[in-house]
Amino acid sequence: MEFDLENPFTSFVVEEEQQSGTILDLFVSESDHMPSQNFTTKFLEDEMEGFHVSFRQEAVSLILQAQFSCNFEPFIPYLAVTYLDRFIFRQQIQFGKPWIVKLLVVSCISLAAKMKNTHFPVSEFQREEGFMFDAQTIHRMELLILDALNWRMRSITPFSFLCFFISLFKLKDPPLTQALKDRAIDIIFKAHNEIKLIEFKPSIIAASALLLSSHELFPLQFSAFKASVSSCEYVNKEKLLKCFDTMQEMVEMEEGFDSISMSSSTRTPVSVLDYKCSSKSSVSQRTAAATAVMPLQKRETKRRKTNGFCSENRFQLSRIQQCL
Amino acid sequence: MEKYEKLEKVGEGTYGKVYKAKDKASGKLVALKKTRLEMDEEGIPPTALREVSLLQLLSQSLYVVRLLCVEHVDSSTSTNDSSSKSNLYLVFEYLDTDLKKFIDSHRKGVNPRPLPPTLIQSFLYQLCKGVAHCHSHGVLHRDLKPQNLLLDKDKGLLKIADLGLGRAFTVPLKSYTHEIVTLWYRAPEVLLGSTHYSPAVDIWSVGCIFAEMVRRQALFPGDSEFQQLLHIFRLLGTPTEKEWPGVTSLRDWHVYPVWEPQNLARAVPSLGPEGVDLLSSMLKYNPADRISAKAAMDHPYFDSLDKSQY
Repeated sequence: MEFDLENPFTSFVVEEEQQSGTILDLFVSESDHMPSQNFTTKFLEDEMEGFHVSFRQEAVSLILQAQFSCNFEPFIPYLAVTYLDRFIFRQQIQFGKPWIVKLLVVSCISLAAKMKNTHFPVSEFQREEGFMFDAQTIHRMELLILDALNWRMRSITPFSFLCFFISLFKLKDPPLTQALKDRAIDIIFKAHNEIKLIEFKPSIIAASALLLSSHELFPLQFSAFKASVSSCEYVNKEKLLKCFDTMQEMVEMEEGFDSISMSSSTRTPVSVLDYKCSSKSSVSQRTAAATAVMPLQKRETKRRKTNGFCSENRFQLSRIQQCL
Repeated sequence: MEKYEKLEKVGEGTYGKVYKAKDKASGKLVALKKTRLEMDEEGIPPTALREVSLLQLLSQSLYVVRLLCVEHVDSSTSTNDSSSKSNLYLVFEYLDTDLKKFIDSHRKGVNPRPLPPTLIQSFLYQLCKGVAHCHSHGVLHRDLKPQNLLLDKDKGLLKIADLGLGRAFTVPLKSYTHEIVTLWYRAPEVLLGSTHYSPAVDIWSVGCIFAEMVRRQALFPGDSEFQQLLHIFRLLGTPTEKEWPGVTSLRDWHVYPVWEPQNLARAVPSLGPEGVDLLSSMLKYNPADRISAKAAMDHPYFDSLDKSQY
């Protein structure tokens, strides 16, 4: 009964002939595993927007902190974030109480670690982060989350769709296929922390990430790939293009910044806000280095009223890259 | 749990008691399956978490009984006890009859009569479809039997129940109330102590159920593991290394009387040749030779069935 994010529906290796039906199931069920159907309305146009955005960013940041300090494989924090997203948009959160975000994060990580059959050193992690909930409280929170998510913990994620879309590309060279997939996985991990991408279905994220990956790795074949993915009956072309553009913008911003930081090492890119973020971290040395490659100016427009967390989120992003 | 009004106990599932209940808000009938959950210092056991969530996914098929929701009830008495006993109620859609009752009603009672051949064909097809669905998700049922196949008589639907709780709740030899779990549908490799389970164990059960729908009585009604094997061997012949390589090295293999295979068609006299062919491919000794649920759905036996309605 193991749980593999690339293959969420199976717990042992099944024969090829038996697998054909499952991809359709994935497309049919994926919406059940999204935060909410009317997600965008609630999240981005709501008057609570600021609270939601900052709450999520604080939570995501803490989850990534756990990945780092517990040395988790990246799928565990990924899964924890999917639970978090689904929970916070189903439940009325009392944003005013700062401990809620911590309790929620610890419980989401605990559930994700259980799904992946990995030990989560709860006490050590809490001690490191300077808080401590007793086991009963965490268990009760776990149950609240399970209840809110109706025990649908085998999240359908973009990873579940990678093999299907890659098969549409009809690639013949296994190392190239692997390179394409690896880069797409890399992009999907990044995309999870980008709030603008949260409205897209997992399949659309997967398709966009693969297209973006192919755009970088084999630009000559890109239009053929794009045509084959767009013509897939399960894919909404309009959404795909919108998602692709957002994702490309996200990646370009990072890379554009990477190249800037390479060329001008004498810049002082760390803002006051980022100092605040890094001082929270126990690994300030490394964080400062990671913070230095943040696309600060370009993010300015996006930062809006919840500024601090955006940047915090960014440095965690670079950190996740280092861990991969 | 106050959302439900318990009406009566309707049975003992393999893993615990099952109640018929009414959803107070909607008035709909549901089946409540109570499962004990041993909470230790880790909280919800990971196996239970993984399996219930898998069940949640599987029950999206029309041919699997729908899991409507999961309710957790904490029944710990002292609050400072970290290992609390608690119950998990799995809330399923309620269906009022099962294949065992249905076959029984055709065997005895006021109007004994065979099951209509088209109905057998339809039920078997739905069963194969449900089993194929589970197998494609990597889940073995391991305890398929007529009692576990619920029927919606009005719609002519068959749904698989009692599914999937494989590891957190291992299949017991005795059920919750110590009544002996039926062996009639158990595959020979399981009876012989094979530790490697494959989807073929479920196909064997499907074959036994197919034959039972035709005969209106069990094909292999053994009352002990040994007797169960003898029932099988008497009809299908004592297996040999030639047709089933490795059989004599299985853990519980002994020296058995040597029987020659009988004509399977004689055990299911009202079944046509295509049905007999499908049945015999489901009852192959070597698990590797047994037909898969998916392949069974394409067997000529189903050619006369309008598959588009399933």
